[in-house]
Amino acid sequence: MKILAVFAGLCLVFLFVWERVDMVRVGYHVERLKRDKVSLERERDQLRVKFSSLSAPDRIAKVASEKLGMVLPQPGQVIMVRSHPESIPPSRVVPEEVRVAKSDWSGGRR
Amino acid sequence: MAAPLSRGRRYVVLLLLLCGFGVVLFRLVTLQILQAAELTVKADRQHQKTVSLEGARGSIVDRHGKMLAMNLEVPSVFGVPNVLDSPARTARFLSPVLHVRTDELERKLRQDRGFVWLARKLDPEQGRRLEQLSMEGIGVVMEGRRFYPKGPLLSHVLGFAGMDGEGLEGVERRYESHLHGEKRVAILQRDALGRTVFPKGLAEQSPAPGHGLVLTIDEVIQYITEKELEEAVVQTHAKSGTMIVLDPQTGALLALAVSPRFDPNAVSALAPDRWRNRALTDAYEPGSTMKAIIAAAALEEGMMKPHTMVFGENGRWSIANTVIHDHEKLGWVSFAQVIQKSSNIGAAKTGMGLGDQRLYRYLQTFGFGQRTDIDLPGEAAGLLKSPREWGRRSVASISMGQEIGVTPMQMVTAIAAIANGGVLMKPYVVSEIRDAQGRVLKQMLPQVKRRILSPKTAQEVTAILEGVVTDGTGGRAAITGFRVAGKTGTAQKIDPQTGTYSTTQFVGSFVGYAPADAPRLAMIVVIDEPQGEAWGGTVAAPIFHRVGTQVLNYLGVSSTEPVKLAMAMGGH
Repeated sequence: MKILAVFAGLCLVFLFVWERVDMVRVGYHVERLKRDKVSLERERDQLRVKFSSLSAPDRIAKVASEKLGMVLPQPGQVIMVRSHPESIPPSRVVPEEVRVAKSDWSGGRR
Repeated sequence: MAAPLSRGRRYVVLLLLLCGFGVVLFRLVTLQILQAAELTVKADRQHQKTVSLEGARGSIVDRHGKMLAMNLEVPSVFGVPNVLDSPARTARFLSPVLHVRTDELERKLRQDRGFVWLARKLDPEQGRRLEQLSMEGIGVVMEGRRFYPKGPLLSHVLGFAGMDGEGLEGVERRYESHLHGEKRVAILQRDALGRTVFPKGLAEQSPAPGHGLVLTIDEVIQYITEKELEEAVVQTHAKSGTMIVLDPQTGALLALAVSPRFDPNAVSALAPDRWRNRALTDAYEPGSTMKAIIAAAALEEGMMKPHTMVFGENGRWSIANTVIHDHEKLGWVSFAQVIQKSSNIGAAKTGMGLGDQRLYRYLQTFGFGQRTDIDLPGEAAGLLKSPREWGRRSVASISMGQEIGVTPMQMVTAIAAIANGGVLMKPYVVSEIRDAQGRVLKQMLPQVKRRILSPKTAQEVTAILEGVVTDGTGGRAAITGFRVAGKTGTAQKIDPQTGTYSTTQFVGSFVGYAPADAPRLAMIVVIDEPQGEAWGGTVAAPIFHRVGTQVLNYLGVSSTEPVKLAMAMGGH
């Protein structure tokens, strides 16, 4: 009986020590995961800044004009058309703006 | 068998043991009870680390959610001079990575101090290179740095944040209390190797980030405005230029450009003059653009009708011992033509017909001499003297846009009131304040300041101002397919040397709106000291035309006037 009590006591001590050690181990693990999270968040933010810089209008305009040879449409090349479907009473229709590029409606001529 | 200890020896051993235990007990009491508080503090200091945490500064986006300003965690490098063996060698090693001169680094590292900053808020790439270096006495900490990914775009509205993350100019300054993150001190547990083991109060670690702002600005309209203004300032060799694009129905600012621009990512080397928002801070004599306001007042008062005939004095009129000249020698012309031909004499006669009190009241009602209350810092009220301080010629001068100082923002809000049918709106630049999760905390709605004209008067003024573009001085502002209303202005600047009007320094401007029948844009262009021809109709109206054409196209506004298809067929 006495031996059993001593054994149980030792088990409790080991359990306590194991629990404390494991807590520290998990603590290190949590800390490492937090560092990873912070690092990934930093990377995400850096990519966000890079994306925003690359999508800046002046860069897009430069690439469009210098690399792709695009030009601004001249007056009359873009025509806005209001569409009023006949099936619906006009009072219930919110006028819809439709953009028609010159190159689209003239059979693709440029 | 050993002989038993004598009684005396046993007492001596007992006494020694007692003394030993006594010393231990005394020490125990001293450490555990008497010095307990002091030692607890010392122990905590060794295995706890106190760090100051600050939530990330809120981001700023345009009305379509395009990023304009955001925070990044970037490395800052510090040195501990006391533990360095060779400051010279360390400085040589760090110099190419930090892009700081070797002698400057060495000077810092030779200081008799325990901590010194070597370089703060470096680029992320430099941080990666620094991570590979492991040097005794050199440390790296992460700090929040403000980034403006679009560079100079919208710089005069955004402003910038300082080294410690506080807003110093523009929206960054005006909304500092919303943008900055929460500041908090946290305690971390660390082991013998200095590694963080277990943070106390784990859930309370992260301080709340600042709130984000959604602007009324449209990034694309802003780009078009800046590009066209910049080109015009370069072409005319002007000192500077300002342009504002406003939604006349709501007062929402769509674009605000000041040339020359600056990059808010690198402001330290620039003079404050470069980041001043001239659209709000600089008052100028508006010249003939003021005639649009005078016309509105005269029509509202019923003093004039568009067809009322006015004598132009053949271009020369003496008043208060001075002579007023017109660019064009006019005889009898209609009141509408007075504005369309920009007659100084006609405007002076109209102002004098109104009288000083009524003129002053209308100028105040239109918002001159007071701030527009736009949500940006540093706004000036302009200069509008009380009639008590006016001279004999003041009524005539003010009617021609002299003896009065207005800011471009005041002028464009006044013209927007004519555009929208007579209501003065409060201009604004921030439409929403959001939390870090994107939930709307506060929404700014358009605010009416007051009604200043009847819709009928506004319509009459619009018709007259359309004539300025179709038959008058503002022909170059015309936009194909749209009706445009506006007014040119060319004002002489005061020569600081003589205190009189300069014959070489001018301010050319154009203010107007389009489409005139259903206005979507109210715009002002101000070109300061253009070289060569300085007429508002020559230097400013073409910018109005170019920006208006592109922006109406971008917004998908249908043409209200017939478009010549022959142009379309022949164009590229």
